[in-house]
Amino acid sequence: MSKIIIVEDDPGIREELALLLENEGYQVTAVTDFSDVPDQIQAAAPDLILLDLGLPGRDGMSVCAGVRKLSRTPVIFVTSRDSASDELRALSLGGDDYITKPYNIPVLLARIKAVLRRAGGPAEPDTLTAKGLTLHLARGTASAAGGTAELTRNELKILAYLMSCAGQIVSRADLIDALWDSQIYIDDNTLSVNMTRLRAKLEGIGLPGFIKTRRGMGYQL
Amino acid sequence: MTWKEFLSDRLNRLLIQLICAAGAAFFLWTTGTQSGVLAILLLALLLVFCAVQLSDFLRQRARLQELEAILNGLDQKYLFAECVPPAGALYEQRLLDLTRRAGRAMTGAVSDAQASQRDYREYVERWVHEIKTPITAARLLCRELDGTTRRKLTRELSRIEEHVERALFYARAESLERDCVIRQTGLDQIAAQAVGNHRSLLIQSGVRVETEGLERSVYTDEKWAVFILGQLLQNAARYRGEEPVITISACSLGKQVRLTVADNGIGIPAHELSRVFDRGFTGSNGRSRSGQGLSASSTGMGLYLCKKLAAFLELELTIASREGEGTAVTLTFPTKENLTKL
Repeated sequence: MSKIIIVEDDPGIREELALLLENEGYQVTAVTDFSDVPDQIQAAAPDLILLDLGLPGRDGMSVCAGVRKLSRTPVIFVTSRDSASDELRALSLGGDDYITKPYNIPVLLARIKAVLRRAGGPAEPDTLTAKGLTLHLARGTASAAGGTAELTRNELKILAYLMSCAGQIVSRADLIDALWDSQIYIDDNTLSVNMTRLRAKLEGIGLPGFIKTRRGMGYQL
Repeated sequence: MTWKEFLSDRLNRLLIQLICAAGAAFFLWTTGTQSGVLAILLLALLLVFCAVQLSDFLRQRARLQELEAILNGLDQKYLFAECVPPAGALYEQRLLDLTRRAGRAMTGAVSDAQASQRDYREYVERWVHEIKTPITAARLLCRELDGTTRRKLTRELSRIEEHVERALFYARAESLERDCVIRQTGLDQIAAQAVGNHRSLLIQSGVRVETEGLERSVYTDEKWAVFILGQLLQNAARYRGEEPVITISACSLGKQVRLTVADNGIGIPAHELSRVFDRGFTGSNGRSRSGQGLSASSTGMGLYLCKKLAAFLELELTIASREGEGTAVTLTFPTKENLTKL
C-alpha cells in the first residue's frame, strides 16, 4: 500500500482528498501545520507527495526544493495557478507532474498511479478474473472454459470496467463515464451496439448471460 | 512643407514688405535719387529679401523633417514633446513647452489607465485562481452523492468552470506573450484534454465523439490550443441536432497540419456566418437556444476569443456551415518547424 502525503492549505479540499485517496486504497497523511513542511514530509517518509503551490507563509516551489534536498520522493504539484511559467518552474524544481485545479478526479487518480508506477511501485495487473472469465488486458482477449475471444478496444474497456466492479450494479451513465475516461467517447446507442456484440462473443466462448441487464438500473456481472 | 505653403503662410508679411519697398522707392524717387541708383538699390534689396526667405524656408523645412523623423522613430508617440531637442527660436520653445505640459498630463492619464487596467486584470486572474479552490472542493464533495444528483451537480460545476475559464483567458488575452510556450504537442493529447474538460456537457448532450488521424504532432502552446478546441466542442454540443456526432479529425497538408472539428448540428445561417467571430455576436441560434436547460446562454465571447488566440498562435481558423446540416471549423497549424510523427 502506497503512502501519500497531502500538503494543501484549504481544509475542505484536504479532507475530501484524503477521504478520496483512502477509498482508493492509499495510506494518507495530511500536513496541517505549514511551518516546517520538508521536515514533516521527511518524518512521514511517503511514497508520493501531493503539493499545493499556494501555501501560507512558504511557497510550494521552495517546499519542493527543500524536499528535493532530502529525498527523491516523487512530487505532484496540485495548484490553481496554471500559467506556463509556473508549470515550467515547478517541473524544473524536480516536480514529477503538475495538475491544475479544478481537476478531474479520474485524471488525478490516473496521474497518481502513473507517477507511483514510474517510481517503482507495484505494477498494474495484466489480467482480470471474475466468475470464470479471464481478461488479458495487454493481449485484448477474453478466455473462458469454452475458448478465447478477441475483443475490440471498446469491448475490452467495457468488460474491464464491469469486471472491476464485479457483483455491483453499474448504471449505463457510470459505464459511459468510465469509457470516456479511457478516451472512448461513445453515446448511449453505441454502448448498446457494443454491448450486444460483446454478449455475442461471450456466448461464443460458453458464457451466455455473463452480463445481466438490471432493468432501469444498469448492468451487473 | 512646400514653397507654396511657405509663401502663402507669409503672404501678409510679404505684402507689407513689398508695400514698404515701393513706398521707400517712391520717396527716394521724388527726392531726386537717380533711377539707375534706385534700380541697384531695389535689386540689392530684392536679393537680400529672397536670400532671407530662402534660408528661413530651408531652416524650417529641416527642422520639420527632423521632428517628423523623431516622431516616426518613437514607439509611444505621445512622448514626442519629451524627446524633441531644444529649439533656438523663443516662440517655438514656448510652443514646445506648452505641448510638453499637455503631453505630461496625458502621459499621466495613460499610465494611470494602464495601471488600473493591469490591476484589474491581475485581480481577475487572482480571483479565478481563488475560485478554483472551492470548485475543486465541491467536485470532491460531489462524489459522495448518488448517481443522478452527482451528474447534475457535476454538470453545473462544469458550467461554472467554463465561465471562469473564459474570464481567465479573456483577461490573459491582453498579454498573451507572457503566458505562451510553444512546444511539440500531440494532437491526440490536445483533443483528449479538451474533450476531458467538457466531458460532462458532452455526455449529457448525448454526443458521440469520433477521432481520426490525431496521431500527429504540432508546434503550438498546448494550453491555448486546448482552450480553443474546448470552445469549439462546447459550441458543437450546444447547437447539436438529432443523434449528435462530433468528429475531430486531422490531416497533413504538406508540412501543415489541419485539424477539423465537424458536427451534424443545426448549423449557422449563411448571412450570420461572417460575423460569428465578432465580439459579442450571438446570432439567432445563440438567442433561441438560451432558454433551454442544458445549454448555457451564449455570451458571444467564445469564438471571438478563439479568433484572437488563433491569430496570436498563427493558427488559421476558418468556419463553414450549412443550416440544418452542421458546422465544420478548421484549425490550420503553422508550417514552420512542423514535423509529422509517424
